[in-house]
Amino acid sequence: MRIEANTRRGQPVTIYVDGTPVQAYTGETVAPALLASGRRAWRVTPWGEPRGLFCGIGICFDCTATVNGVPYVRTCQTPVAEGMVIETERPLERDQ
Amino acid sequence: MNPEPVHTDIAVVGAGPAGLSAAVAAAVAGASVTVIDAYSQPGGQYFRQPNPAVDPDPQEPRPRAGRELRHKAEAAGVRFLNRTVVWGAFEDLRLAAYREDTAQAIELQADAIILAPGTYERVAAFPGWTLPGVITTGAAQTLLKEQRLLPGQRIILAGTGPLQLVTAAALVKAGAQVVAVLEGASPGEAILRQPGQTLAAVWGQSTRLKEGWQSWRTLKKAGVPYHRGWGIIAAEGKDSLQAVRIARLDRQWRPIPGTERRLEADTLCLNYGFTPATELAQLFGVQLHWRPAQGGFVPRRDEQMQTNVPGLFIVGDGAGVGGAELAMVEGQIAGLAAARQVLGDSTLTRRIEALQPALRREQRFQQFYARLFTPGPGLDELAAGDTPICRCEGVSKATIVQTIHAGADTMHAVKAVTRCGMGNCQGRVCGPLVAAILAQETGQSPERVGQFRARTPIFPVPLTAFTVLTTEGAESAESRN
Repeated sequence: MRIEANTRRGQPVTIYVDGTPVQAYTGETVAPALLASGRRAWRVTPWGEPRGLFCGIGICFDCTATVNGVPYVRTCQTPVAEGMVIETERPLERDQ
Repeated sequence: MNPEPVHTDIAVVGAGPAGLSAAVAAAVAGASVTVIDAYSQPGGQYFRQPNPAVDPDPQEPRPRAGRELRHKAEAAGVRFLNRTVVWGAFEDLRLAAYREDTAQAIELQADAIILAPGTYERVAAFPGWTLPGVITTGAAQTLLKEQRLLPGQRIILAGTGPLQLVTAAALVKAGAQVVAVLEGASPGEAILRQPGQTLAAVWGQSTRLKEGWQSWRTLKKAGVPYHRGWGIIAAEGKDSLQAVRIARLDRQWRPIPGTERRLEADTLCLNYGFTPATELAQLFGVQLHWRPAQGGFVPRRDEQMQTNVPGLFIVGDGAGVGGAELAMVEGQIAGLAAARQVLGDSTLTRRIEALQPALRREQRFQQFYARLFTPGPGLDELAAGDTPICRCEGVSKATIVQTIHAGADTMHAVKAVTRCGMGNCQGRVCGPLVAAILAQETGQSPERVGQFRARTPIFPVPLTAFTVLTTEGAESAESRN
């Protein structure tokens, strides 16, 4: 959840996660915006494990999603933008 | 396409405390300096800056210090390539890089290179460690400092070292409910056993002591339990973390039977120390040696931080974990030494020598610190047979153990047979875990087991990143060794 005390936010923007609008603010990256929306996981491994944020510094590639059509994008390293389209990764889409 | 490599006197890879200090020292001495860094703002993890869209002028001491260092660099003419990952190293001190925000392929040729790549957090594999909600302490720090976000509602920190203490206090101050902090080591015992060494090591470390003390008081005031000699043994939950099982640890970090407890939490932050990032050093053919107190395999260096590869310097935690203060001293020394080499300016020698007392002081502290916070072997025994060790490829501990018993007795063989370490993280997360299993199952020393060998490209980049490479001399420096 976003910290309110002593915090200013950027301009509100809307990103779309599997078609659902999610509120975010300029300057945020995608992963925190997804966490703030109550999501804990936004990827399912080929063997069925849910995954979300892990290392937070762009190393582990656990938090990837398809962003504006580009697959395997690290959501922790990608700044949000108005109208950004996020598709969560599922094994059926990429491995079968 | 960009057929001509960009030339710079000195290329610095990494813009944390070590890289920024090196860049400032070299640029002030008169060299042209280019800093390449993977993140959108210079500073690394230690000087991490808040979101610039809302807080361009941070007042907190650490981001402020980082910002001042960056301003010094800019004033001295340092050029920054942000959001740029270095994926290859080639002969004649050439670097191949890819800028992610502009999708630009870059080739850089330098007369000297200073690597300041930093570290990866060491984690532990235990049942449930891949559940969403189990994150690294570094991730919690990033959310807190850069994004102003709490990672969860009920938070537990487990691992070892003062980063856990400092992070827990920062979470409490930001309004989080911290359920407990579990410190695997019992640092008080070591301090009481060796009071003389303790005093020698902490001499001149008043800032560090003050930060630790303030964090401690914040936790006490909030009533957050700080358990020394306790650790995680398992995480539970269906789609995300719901509870952790903890136990008291013996001196070998093995859970003591009968002490087990269960705590409800939705977030678990792990940090068991740091592993130096040696991929670029490996590609350049730098000799590494085993120094467990500094995080594992680290480059051999002379007193000016230069490696066996002429013109190649390595500084900071990526050359041996020692903290930001040591990193900044090393960075200054390497920056001056590289500038002296490139510019032929022998007047810089005096300034390099003047930094030696500060270097010794920080090295003393590093040695002391390492003794207090080193995980015991029990940590590597927590995984069950079906616990994934390789998060990317989903390789379980049982698969790795079976493969080892079938004859795969090297890191390379385990990787080739199981695909462990072949995923997108390229073994950065599972490498130390696999090495520990291999050492345990074969009785080999960790030094003999070694680590996953870095291969070009050392980071996943799109194919367009390769378009920059000139064919002449494009042979990797490593492949010649």
